[in-house]
Amino acid sequence: MPLGGIIFLALFILAFGVFLIFLARKIGGRKPGPAVKFEAYECGITGVAKKDTKISVKFYLTAILFILFDIEIIFMYPWAVTYRDFIASGQGAFVLSAMFIFLAVFIFGLFWEIKSRALEWD
Amino acid sequence: MADVIVFWFLALVTVGSGLAVVLLPNPIYCALCLAMTMVGVSALFVTLGAYFIAGVQLIVYAGAVLVLFTMVLMLFDLKSETNAFSRGVITGAIKVACAGVLSGLIAGAIVMTLGQRSSVVSPLAEKSAIDSTKALGKLLFQENVFAFEALGVLLLVIAVGTVSLARSKGGTHAKH
Amino acid sequence: MGKDTLEIAINGLKLVLIFLMMVQAVPILVWLERRGSAFIQNRFGPNRVGPLGLLQLLADAVKFLTKEDFYPRTAVKTLFYLAPVFALIPATLAFCAIPMSTPIQVAAFDAFGSSWGPYVFKIQGFDISVGIVYILGMSSLAAYTILMAGWGSGSKYSLLGALRASAQTISYELALGLSIVGVILLYGTFDLTSMIQAQEGALHFQMMGQTVTSQFLPNWGFFYQPLGAVLFFAATFAESNRLPFDLAEGEAELVAGFHTEYGGFKMLMFFIGEYGHMMVASGLFAAFYLGGYALPIPSWNPAAVLHWSTELLGSKESGSVLAAIIHFLSFNIKFGLLLWIFIWVRWTLPRFRYDQLMDLGWKTMLPWSLANAMITAVGVYLASVAMV
Repeated sequence: MPLGGIIFLALFILAFGVFLIFLARKIGGRKPGPAVKFEAYECGITGVAKKDTKISVKFYLTAILFILFDIEIIFMYPWAVTYRDFIASGQGAFVLSAMFIFLAVFIFGLFWEIKSRALEWD
Repeated sequence: MADVIVFWFLALVTVGSGLAVVLLPNPIYCALCLAMTMVGVSALFVTLGAYFIAGVQLIVYAGAVLVLFTMVLMLFDLKSETNAFSRGVITGAIKVACAGVLSGLIAGAIVMTLGQRSSVVSPLAEKSAIDSTKALGKLLFQENVFAFEALGVLLLVIAVGTVSLARSKGGTHAKH
Repeated sequence: MGKDTLEIAINGLKLVLIFLMMVQAVPILVWLERRGSAFIQNRFGPNRVGPLGLLQLLADAVKFLTKEDFYPRTAVKTLFYLAPVFALIPATLAFCAIPMSTPIQVAAFDAFGSSWGPYVFKIQGFDISVGIVYILGMSSLAAYTILMAGWGSGSKYSLLGALRASAQTISYELALGLSIVGVILLYGTFDLTSMIQAQEGALHFQMMGQTVTSQFLPNWGFFYQPLGAVLFFAATFAESNRLPFDLAEGEAELVAGFHTEYGGFKMLMFFIGEYGHMMVASGLFAAFYLGGYALPIPSWNPAAVLHWSTELLGSKESGSVLAAIIHFLSFNIKFGLLLWIFIWVRWTLPRFRYDQLMDLGWKTMLPWSLANAMITAVGVYLASVAMV
C-alpha cells in the first residue's frame, strides 16, 4: 500500500490550495466598505444572529441510522470478497444462509423504521 | 527508511491531533481534530498490514461517527458553552484525577510490557492486503458466525432504541 | 512508492500530474456544461471569447483570481479558508486509485554510473489492492468539507445547506456501498485492476447446462449487474451533489447552500471538488461495469492490443507505450461519455423535494440495492454449483 504516496499527494494538494488562496487574497485584495458589506448574506435585510437556528432532530436520527446501516454494510464486504472461496471449499450454502439471516435482521430493521415513520420528512 | 519516516509522521499527526482534541476549547475544532486522529489511526493500521480494518476505521469512524458528532455540535450555539466546563475547583480536581488515572494506565502498560517486546519484524506486511481481508472473512464467517449474527441483532436493538428516543414525547421535538 | 530514487521520483511526479490533469479538466467540463446546457435549452452559451467560446475558461480564471477576497464578519476564518482547500483532497486521493491504462514498461539502462531498472510504471496514482474500500473511505471524508464550510461561514443558509448536504451524502452512501457489494461478489476482489481483467473477453453465461458465448458483446459487468449499475450511478449523483440531487444548494430556498458566502477562487475550488467527485464516479463506473480501459471489442483485449503494438513497433517497451496510449484513449472515451451523462441529466431533470430525496434514498434505493446484492449472491452460488 503506497502510504507514502498518499501522504505526499495530500500534503501537496494542501500546499497547492493554500498557495492559491493566498495568491487570490494578494491579487484580489480586500476593500473597505460599510459595515453591512461584511455581514453574512441575508437576502438584503440586516442579518439575524444564527443563535436562533433550530434544526430538526431528523438530521441527527438520519445520521445515527446511517452509522448503524453502514456498519452492517461494511460487514458484507469481507463476506462478498471471500464468498467464492467458501463456495470452492463447499461451504457456500452455509455462508450464504449465515448472511441471509443477518440480512433478514437488517431488512426487519429497515422496514420497522419505515413503518414507524422514523424516516419521514415533513 | 521510508517506512520509518512515514510511521513517525503518522504518529506525530495522530498524537498531535489527539492532544488538540483535549486541549482546544472549541468543541467543533475538537471534533474535527478527532476525525483527523481517526484518519491517522487508520493509516497506522495500514502500516501494520491490517488493510481492511484501516478501511473500516476510515469509513465507519472518520466517515460516519465523527460526521455525526460534528453535525450535532454544529446544531448548538457553542460560543456560550465553551467556558461551561472549564472552571471550578471540583472540575479541576476531576481533570487532575482523570489525567492521573490515564497516565498511570499508560505507564503501567509500558512497564508491564517492557521485557516482552517480541521480535522486530517489518510491520509493513509481506502478506498481501487481499489475503489479510480474506483471512478476516474466514474467521468471521466460520469460527465466529454466532457473534456475527448476534451483532446484527445488537445493531437492530440500537436502531429501535434510537428511533424510540427520538420519538419520545415531552422533549423539545416531541410529536403531538 | 518504488525501489530506487528514479522510480520514487517518477511515481511522485505521476501523482502531481494526475492531480493537475484533474484540475485542468474542470474548466473544460465547465465549458462543456455551459455549452451543453445552452444546446439543451436552445440558447447560445458562451461563444464570444475565442473559437466556440473556448477562451472563456481563461477569462474566467483571470476573473476568479482578481475577485475581491471576502469573508463575512461572523465567519470562523480558519475553517472558512481551509474548507475549499480540503474540498480538493478526498476526490483527488480517491481518483488516484483508479487504473486508467495498461502499464508502461521501461527496459534497464545505464546512466550516472549505475544501472537502473527495468521498471513497470502503472497509469494509476496508487496501486491499492483494497481499492474499493480505500475509495469509499476517502469519499466519505468529503462530508467534513461541507460541514466546515457551512459552519465556518457563519451564515444561516450555509449551515442549513451543509446539514442538508451531509445528511443527503450519508443517506446515499448506503445505497452506494450496497450496490458495490454486488460488484465485489461478482469479481471476488477489491482490486480494480483485477476487476477490469475479469471483464476481458466475450460475454458468456450458463444456460440450460451449456455455456452460451456472445459473438460481439464484451464480458462487461454491466450485463451481469444492470440493476446494480443503475443504483450505483444514481447514488453517485447524490454523492457529488449534482442535480437532480442538489438540494444542498436549492437556490429557491437556500441561496447557494454551503457555499453561499464563497466567491472567486474559493468557489472555484469547491467546483473542482464537485467535478472531482463526478470524475471518481465516472472512473469507478467504467471500471466496475464498462471494462475499464479495455477496448469494447472482445477479441481486442489488452493482451492482444499489447501483442499487436509490440509486433508493429518491434520492441516490448515502445509496444507497451503504444498500448498504454490506446487504452488511455479508450478509458477517456468511456469516462467522457459518463461525464456527459452527468451534465445531460443535470439539464434534463428537475430538482427533487427534500422529503422525496430522502424517501428515494432510504425507501427505494436501499431496499433495491439490498435485493440486488442478495440476487447476485444467489446467482453466483448457482452459477458456480452449475460449473462443478
